[in-house]
Amino acid sequence: MEKLAAFFLALLLPAAAAPAGTLLLRGATVHTVTHGTLTPGDVLVRNGKIAAVAPKIDEPADTSIDLAGLHLFPGLISASTDLGLVEISSVRGSIDSQETGQFTPEIESWTAVNPDSELIPVSRANGITHFVPVPRGDLIAGASGLMAARGWTVEDMTVRRRTAMHLFWPDHSLTVPGPKASKKTKPLDEQARERAERVRTIDQFFADAEAWEKRPAGSPVVPAWQAMLPVVRGELPLVVHAQGLREIRAALKWSASRPRLRLIIEGGRDAWMLATELAERKIPVIYSEVFSLPSQSSDAYDVQFRAPSILQKAGVTVAITESSGDSASNQRNLPYSAAQAAAFGLSRDAALAAITLIPAQLHGAGDSLGSIEVGKEASFFAATGDILDIRSEVRRLWISGAEQSLASRHSRLAERYRTRPTPPPK
Amino acid sequence: MPPPMMKKPRFPAGPAVAALCAAGLVIPLFSFDGPLPPGNRPLPASVHALVFGRVVLSPGKELDKATIILSDGRIAAVTTDAAIPADAQVHDMTGTTIYAGFIDAHLSLGKKGALRADPIEEDPPVDSRRLTSGAGMGFPGAPSLANGSDANSLVTPQLRIARTYNPDPEQLKALRAEGFTAANVVPDRGVIRGTSTFVSLGSSDPDEAIIRPDTFQHIALNVPAESPDADRRDQPEAYPASLMGVIAVVRQSFFDAQFQAVDAAHFAANPTNRPRPSISEALTALLPAARKSMPVLFEPGSMLMVDRAMQLSRELALQPLMLATGQEWRRPDLMRAAAVPFIVPVDFPEVPTLPDDDDWLAVPTDQLRAWDQAPGNPALLRREGLDIALTTHGLEKPQQFRSNARLAIARGLTESDAIAALTTVPARLCGVADQLGDIASGKLANLTVVENGRYFDPESRIREVWIEGQIFHATPDDDKKKNPDGNAKPEDPDKPDKPDKPENPEKPDKKKELEELRAKLTDAPAQQDRGPLLSPPAVFIKSATIWTSGPQGRIENASLLIVDGKIKALGTIAPNDVPKGAHVIDRPDIHVTPGMIDCHSHSMIIGGVNEATLPSTAMVRVGDVVNSESETIHQQLAGGLTVANLLHGSANPIGGQNCVIKLREGASPEGLKLAGAPGGIKFALGENVKQSNWGDGFRNRFPQSRMGVPAFHTNRFTAARQYADALAKHQRDGGPPVRRDLELETIAEIIRGERLIHCHSYRQDEVIVFLRVMESFGVRVGTLQHILEGYKVADEIARHGAGASAFADWWAYKLEVYDAIPHAGSIMRERGVLVSFNSDSSDLSRRMNLEAAKAVKYGGTPEEEALKYVTANPARQLGIDKWVGSLEPGKDGDFVVWSGHPLDTASICQETWIDGRQYFETDAAHRRAAARNTLRNALLAKAKTLAGDGPEDAASDKARDKFFRRSLEDRLSILCVDCCLDHEMPWKN
Repeated sequence: MEKLAAFFLALLLPAAAAPAGTLLLRGATVHTVTHGTLTPGDVLVRNGKIAAVAPKIDEPADTSIDLAGLHLFPGLISASTDLGLVEISSVRGSIDSQETGQFTPEIESWTAVNPDSELIPVSRANGITHFVPVPRGDLIAGASGLMAARGWTVEDMTVRRRTAMHLFWPDHSLTVPGPKASKKTKPLDEQARERAERVRTIDQFFADAEAWEKRPAGSPVVPAWQAMLPVVRGELPLVVHAQGLREIRAALKWSASRPRLRLIIEGGRDAWMLATELAERKIPVIYSEVFSLPSQSSDAYDVQFRAPSILQKAGVTVAITESSGDSASNQRNLPYSAAQAAAFGLSRDAALAAITLIPAQLHGAGDSLGSIEVGKEASFFAATGDILDIRSEVRRLWISGAEQSLASRHSRLAERYRTRPTPPPK
Repeated sequence: MPPPMMKKPRFPAGPAVAALCAAGLVIPLFSFDGPLPPGNRPLPASVHALVFGRVVLSPGKELDKATIILSDGRIAAVTTDAAIPADAQVHDMTGTTIYAGFIDAHLSLGKKGALRADPIEEDPPVDSRRLTSGAGMGFPGAPSLANGSDANSLVTPQLRIARTYNPDPEQLKALRAEGFTAANVVPDRGVIRGTSTFVSLGSSDPDEAIIRPDTFQHIALNVPAESPDADRRDQPEAYPASLMGVIAVVRQSFFDAQFQAVDAAHFAANPTNRPRPSISEALTALLPAARKSMPVLFEPGSMLMVDRAMQLSRELALQPLMLATGQEWRRPDLMRAAAVPFIVPVDFPEVPTLPDDDDWLAVPTDQLRAWDQAPGNPALLRREGLDIALTTHGLEKPQQFRSNARLAIARGLTESDAIAALTTVPARLCGVADQLGDIASGKLANLTVVENGRYFDPESRIREVWIEGQIFHATPDDDKKKNPDGNAKPEDPDKPDKPDKPENPEKPDKKKELEELRAKLTDAPAQQDRGPLLSPPAVFIKSATIWTSGPQGRIENASLLIVDGKIKALGTIAPNDVPKGAHVIDRPDIHVTPGMIDCHSHSMIIGGVNEATLPSTAMVRVGDVVNSESETIHQQLAGGLTVANLLHGSANPIGGQNCVIKLREGASPEGLKLAGAPGGIKFALGENVKQSNWGDGFRNRFPQSRMGVPAFHTNRFTAARQYADALAKHQRDGGPPVRRDLELETIAEIIRGERLIHCHSYRQDEVIVFLRVMESFGVRVGTLQHILEGYKVADEIARHGAGASAFADWWAYKLEVYDAIPHAGSIMRERGVLVSFNSDSSDLSRRMNLEAAKAVKYGGTPEEEALKYVTANPARQLGIDKWVGSLEPGKDGDFVVWSGHPLDTASICQETWIDGRQYFETDAAHRRAAARNTLRNALLAKAKTLAGDGPEDAASDKARDKFFRRSLEDRLSILCVDCCLDHEMPWKN
């Protein structure tokens, strides 16, 4: 029992072995995210952590690297993905992103991350240093972890085992008669009853979890309820996956009666319509719908491009992710979702924060990741230009002070076939 | 003065006759008027005089206080001063209005209209395998008949309602009660459905009732098996399963019917020295339609199919009529151009009650528009100068006909047109105008008698109808009053008689108000906010960075002049050369590029992207099913896209024919097509064609491995070569005619170099083998699509001369793309392959420029060359570079104005121009969205007011369900990559 409790409470793992000594990066344009941009600036790393950031650092270092002409960014953090859980999305044997059952809070996504997934180096090659694999399911799917995009084993990679609990809010739409509906389609009223029932089911589950909290010490352990304790106590955020206006509204309404919950909305296609309320209640949004098509023919063509800007200007904290479909193989395009939001109203700084600092903060690593500032992990990369610009190339990348290879399945195949001798004519 | 015609005695459907029928005896037909045998009720005298009625002789022509003399089932005279024959029974018609008997031009009796015997058991249908390939052979593992059973053939032209008509007398009674006296009874299943029969509604004895045995041949241009079937995805479907497949089947069937006739004639002249021809009853039955001696009634599943039906009619020399879809308001221009009569149902959708106010959020704007517009559809067709006949088709009960027709009148249909649509027009269309349609001497004595006003007055009622001189009194009043639907159900003890609706008698004003609200159109004309924003005689861009994608490369501070839609000059242009009235674009820092071209799109296709049933569907054509109404056109224009190669999916080794369009938003499907673009066809290799990811129900169709794919291609190309040889031989030497085979004809075009192959291809082994097979037939492949491992065999591709149209960076979504790399484009280009990037997605196609930028990032393609991946190169691959793809004098004025560097994510598309016309501009797009939102809110307010209240309270469940049915053309195109399998996806909302 004590052992289990310790297991659940010790969320923050000891940092993986960091390279000893000091590293000085000189002359890059440093995009700190928290303290503006240094053009140029120097960054000093000691024992894997950032020791100093300044226009000029004269301190001698064990290693000194000239990054003149390059741009230094904090490592990109994918706030929600199935990277590591899915290798090939049409091959069932390679998919570990979804469980069965409506309430599986004891699920922890880090446990199924494949350290040797070919998809991880591909993502890293474009600046992704950390990612949050999200378990999917019906209603309460489990907890996401925070992973570094490097390590020999899954334990090496895991930064935090539990960063948030994930609740997939039930779809409120009705199945109406039509070509898609089967003959067994239930009457609308009955569907509406079932819909309300599903929300009640969620509510009851949380009521039961709260009741469990008050059980006397020494009661038998039930892993699922144990996993819910930090959620109902507000120690672990609850990420509610909801896209439509009514689903988000329903989630907000439901959570209002449980003020201890630390809500985050993920997906958030229509969240911009509720920007004021989200801002007032300080509920952040992890927005995945930049490239979704408008849901109504009366919507402007750019409604989804503009949503992050609307939210951010209303005072909502916004992280941006790649869209959920096939997200594992497309993580390298994360900065371009943010870039699209930036082209349509979001400030460039906010767009960059939406894929660095904010994901770190939302997943409990705001004091160690997400920006280039003193005391944080030395997880950053040097690129030939603005990382929001597709044409920029990532040249070097460090995670907790250790430089990482940028080679991947893709670079290896490219190299191999680029050097294929031209065959003689047949 | 009845014309001297042979006449049959009219049997009153009395008990004696019924008893005879019940006894299974044959009723003798009398060739003269003699007394009935003893025991029968003797026939009464058949002369009637209807006096003092208001007689509507024909629409708009009336006689007051007139007398109609009926004799022997015909109208003998109509006059205001006729002498009444002595033997006439005199009927006082004071206070009534008398119309020519109403005709329902499209009566579907549904399941209740019991067929006398399953006709399929009597006549073999067309084996649809014969419609797909040469020599009548099928493809193993590919069912070509629904559920594998002949009884479900979709091609049954031989089905004659005349043979099977056996109505339920109660159904006829219900129709008579609404004033109908005759109807055209239609077949209602399949694609080529069979012939309708024109009947009198006075008798349920088919021999008595049939006036014209074969009225029309019926053809439905709709997605087959649209009816919900939950298990559809787990089992192979039969050909055709897509709208484009249906159209191919219709064409092949008519060619087969014509061939059979020619072949039979040849056989008759050469009875001993050639093989005996096969004889299909079904094809024989199609001949009258093929020879224009029988009209064809098309039932389009989308209003865009009206246009398609017209083109089919021109190609096949048919005499077409249309059944209206109810959506014609979307494109009045196409209806006017069709210039054919429409049979128009009045089964308007009605707003349902939704469980929760928020449920309205999910209702698509288009559904609200369709609901709002529907009652105006009949008037709209009249305004377009078309003849219309009205029908009860689609109504749950005929009793709803009059109230819905009244709604149509409130929306502008004139009463006289409405009466014509029930009398003269259907009589003419059905070929019975010499017998029915107006009140004139010599016509059959069919009359519809209304009391208490005119037919469409709210308070009026049908008093009686006369059918061939026999009177049928309307259902007694007390039956009707119980339930306004006329639905005198037995009391259900568990269901109190609608206690929640206390009739609110104190609020007649409210009811009227709601009726008026429903009658008023809220929506704007469908095409109001579509089409070009600007169509100036000339466009002048004063100074911009111009990426020509042509010989001039990228030019700074350059000007561009477009006159009459074509590029006149670029570079330095003297102010004097700019014509007066030119639209001038003069903003700092802008970049101008050619319009983006997407070499692989599945957007803007209705009724299925794949004809996924057969391994070769070369006969189907995407060009038949272009969706000009999709919102995706606007969204893709907003990303600078101007040209798209609409491709069939990749479900089969030989797919369907492609269609290259320009995104001229607002144009008709034909207007979208890029004239002169060479024909093409989709091929595919690998996992999709061997059905790897289709489920366990798909393990029989050939091929199931990559070994089978080249075998299959070789087989079909060999067959096509032999087919072409046979045709040539026939042309040279004569002899037995050769059946036209649309599949092999298409493949023969490929062999002749007249059709470009666009082949979905992934793995290097299959790519090389495919190229070699094609080379063995002397074919150069147009493009290899996706071509994910093309970088491994770039030299082979370059030597073959195929283009490569790749994904920029997609990978790992299937096993066969595990080796896909984003450097592929750059590597292939370096080795001499012509490279383009495509989207395969209605999302990615909105940012082709940014896909191109990935070629700069991965593998270092120079920027100007990268831009060509989405401009000049796809134009060359598609054979349309004479007109588009680069900015050069003489080419089309297709260009995009960007806020900055086109490969920079910070830039946005500000304007998109096609043919020198502006189709997209950011501010206009926002204004359009705002206006649409206002409209949506107005429609929502109206719908909520009317939901489950007021006049709609009487609406049927069917009408409420209909509200949810999205039109085929409105179902959103899909967002998918490699969409090839997702033939179900278009239904996704």
